Amino acid sequence: MSDAVVELENVWKIFGERASDAMDAVRQEGIGKPEVLERFGAVVGVKDASFSVAKGEIFCLMGLSGSGKSTLVRHINRLIEPTAGTIRIMGEDIGAMKAEQLRATRADKIGMVFQNMALLPHRSVRDNIGFALELRGMDGYTRAKAADRALETVSLHGYGDRLPSELSGGMQQRVGLARALAADPEILLMDEPFSALDPLIRRNLQDEFLSLSQDVKKTTVFITHDLDEAIRMGDRIGIMKDGEIVQIGTAEDIVTAPADDYVADFVAGISRLKLVSASKIMVSPEKHGPINGDGYPVARPDDDLDTLVGLSTGSEKPVLIKDGDVLVGVVSKDTLLTGLQGGAEA
Amino acid sequence: MSGAEKIEVEDRDVSVGTFVAQNEPYFSNVFERLQRSELPRWHMNIWGLLVPWLWASLRGVWLMFWLALAIDILAIVCLMQVVKFTPLLEEALKNPEANTTLIPRYTGWINTYNAMGWILLIGGRFWMGSQANRWYYNQYSRWRIDHAVAHGVVFKRVVIGLVIMAICAPLTTYRATQIRLDERACISQVRTAETVEDLLARYNVDDFASLERSVADEITVLQTAFDRLDGLENPSDAEKAERTQTRRDLRAMTREGEAVAEYQAITPKDRFDCNFIDDFPTLARFDAPPEIRYRRVPDEEARATGDEDATKVIVQESPPVEGRRINIFTYNAEAIDTGINYLRAQYAGIFDAMTNVLRQSLIRVEVAFMQTPWPVVAFLFMALAWAYTNRATTIFVAGSLAFLAAFELWQVAMQTMALVVVATAICVFVGLPVGIWMAKNKLFRWINEPILDVMQTIPSLSYLVPAVAFFGISQPPAVLATVIFAIPPMVKLTALGILQVPESTKEAALAFGASERQLLRKVELPMAIPSIMAGLNQTIMLALSMATISAFIGAAGLGALVTESLGDAQAGKGLLAGIAIALVAMMIDRILRGIRASFSRI
Repeated sequence: MSDAVVELENVWKIFGERASDAMDAVRQEGIGKPEVLERFGAVVGVKDASFSVAKGEIFCLMGLSGSGKSTLVRHINRLIEPTAGTIRIMGEDIGAMKAEQLRATRADKIGMVFQNMALLPHRSVRDNIGFALELRGMDGYTRAKAADRALETVSLHGYGDRLPSELSGGMQQRVGLARALAADPEILLMDEPFSALDPLIRRNLQDEFLSLSQDVKKTTVFITHDLDEAIRMGDRIGIMKDGEIVQIGTAEDIVTAPADDYVADFVAGISRLKLVSASKIMVSPEKHGPINGDGYPVARPDDDLDTLVGLSTGSEKPVLIKDGDVLVGVVSKDTLLTGLQGGAEA
Repeated sequence: MSGAEKIEVEDRDVSVGTFVAQNEPYFSNVFERLQRSELPRWHMNIWGLLVPWLWASLRGVWLMFWLALAIDILAIVCLMQVVKFTPLLEEALKNPEANTTLIPRYTGWINTYNAMGWILLIGGRFWMGSQANRWYYNQYSRWRIDHAVAHGVVFKRVVIGLVIMAICAPLTTYRATQIRLDERACISQVRTAETVEDLLARYNVDDFASLERSVADEITVLQTAFDRLDGLENPSDAEKAERTQTRRDLRAMTREGEAVAEYQAITPKDRFDCNFIDDFPTLARFDAPPEIRYRRVPDEEARATGDEDATKVIVQESPPVEGRRINIFTYNAEAIDTGINYLRAQYAGIFDAMTNVLRQSLIRVEVAFMQTPWPVVAFLFMALAWAYTNRATTIFVAGSLAFLAAFELWQVAMQTMALVVVATAICVFVGLPVGIWMAKNKLFRWINEPILDVMQTIPSLSYLVPAVAFFGISQPPAVLATVIFAIPPMVKLTALGILQVPESTKEAALAFGASERQLLRKVELPMAIPSIMAGLNQTIMLALSMATISAFIGAAGLGALVTESLGDAQAGKGLLAGIAIALVAMMIDRILRGIRASFSRI
């Protein structure tokens, strides 16, 4: 991708005192995780991860706890040093940066939101939000202005002088988000930002973040262990297992064509109504047989199953899928039901 | 995502059979009954009853091993008292009239120890027998969670157990049969050995027969010489002197001859007793080091060439007293003395400068406290209490101040305050950076932690001695001793406060581009403030308590009153001064606590 803002190339992270020995052994002998643990007492945290995120895209990294997603995201701002591989932020190799340059990049270009908020308990909300700006040496007045603007974006105006402990969990996470946005960074790293919140507030914040995202167009790496959230938020999703990215694709790709049993298990319970498009389940007109007369409902190939169900309930006849005026496929009620169940490819 | 969450089950065998390795049916049965609480109280493990330590070590139930060993040794020690006292009783019975007190005492002891020994032995065994399987079951439960817990039947463990028993049991048993050793006997043993060694070297012989012969010859020679001199009718002065000298030599020689006989009379049992069953034996004795004194004197040579104030350290060395042998403790204590003398002489300027700085700052603070009119000081205290604490505390502060004023202790108390303030200030200025460094550097922490522990546990009085050695007797060394005593909580709690800052908060600060310095200043220190304040509070309290003790080396104030009254055995005076110290301490503590509470935002 030419306009990639975040690029990771063959990133490895091995924890342990003999990490570099273990890395060599992995390279030369191709040993697996258990052998690394046994021979070097080292734990493989991230295994050969590569992906890139385009400008303005929301990329979701999803996996269960312990799958290495939080470790991986900390490589992007080099809170964790990779054992091998390169990470580029807007074309610049972050691993090659000097300390001062790295700090500048972290403060100006990357904002981060944490699962446990990690606000400073002794500072007011406004001073918390202005923290990154303060670190860059910005004067108090400009800082306060910027902080108030950020507070407004997360609809918390007027809360600037409270202490974090006075706010509820959801509000604290809004502050966390405002803090990440205050320096107007290019990139947002969100480490399970909504996981610790209760479902209603989570949903609320997700919606708000999505609409906010449309306005500010930040390149976002979003970590979650919740597939529903990943599907809601992510333009693309990377699924991690045991430190390895097993599949990258859009929500539809992952639901309709899971890369392996692990991913298939994951997506088994997901509603396909809004995810799968007609083109994925339709049967070619030749296979379906003759189509006689009129009154057939018509849909486009990228309409989702929800639309097809709507059309299909109003008529006895199968739905025709037309790309422009060309008939590309047919969806009968049987096909639709199988498709909903997820058995279309089987 | 139901199916996706695979629970990783470690492939482990947690069956009773794997755990016990041998005799599975028996243990399966016992464990099951235990689980159902159907095992009767009197259930016995026969091996646990008969040879509990062997069984326990074989099965790896180490707690039981140690308990069984301890009970058995205790029982045997009791029974050995019987062995010890029976011959004494027999001896006493030979002459019943003369030993009317001893006989009933020995009889009583023998009976009591006998009964206790058997009760311990038998009761202990039954306890072990009944508990063995229960403990073993507990171990099984722990093993199911953690496979590193000892399991199975391992004969290596029996060997370890036997070695432990071989080290502990025979020596303790033997010790129990012996009457308490005479400490002097062991010292004279060492001395005799030294004398004999010297003699062997002097006569250049290596067997006792020739040594005895040589000594006897020498004695004969001396005796003949003495007899000749003693037989003279009219000895001249020179002859008289020679006679005295010969008599002295003869006596010394006779003593040495006795030492040889004594040395040969030492039995291996005596030697064993002195080396193994009582105090740790004297390992080595050294020739005493020469006595060295350092003194700083005007350097005349340098002065002659124009350097007006030149001084130099001169060393006065007196050779060691011949034949004075000392043990390791004394040797090192004297070496430290020599070292301190050297530092004191060599760097007199530095010590004087430190003393001076301390004295000057102390004087300033004392002026501030003592020369400020008392109503002002009292008002300030009251205002602080009013602003930061509740009404009850304010009344308490008022009462305390009234106590100090009414008993005419005001100025003295202010002197104590000044000392505490200076000491605390030094503690903060030194303790804070050291604490931060400790939090940041693992190695420094590893080195410093034991040092701080030692500083806290050394009796506070022993600080006074080196303080006096370096700085003499006056207020400054008292301040220094106070600082050393009071600084550990400041350092420790600073380090603790910084270490307690959650990793996630620090990570967030780093993620927003904080440098190490910014992290410390803007995140770690502010968040450590409550802990640091607690450290400050403790430091002040310790400084106050040390203020009394440092009065021994010249600290003025309430402490001096206490030590004075101790010297004069004036209980009332000492008690009143003590109460005053307690009141000052409580006032400061309460006010500081209030300030802390109102500043803490976390």
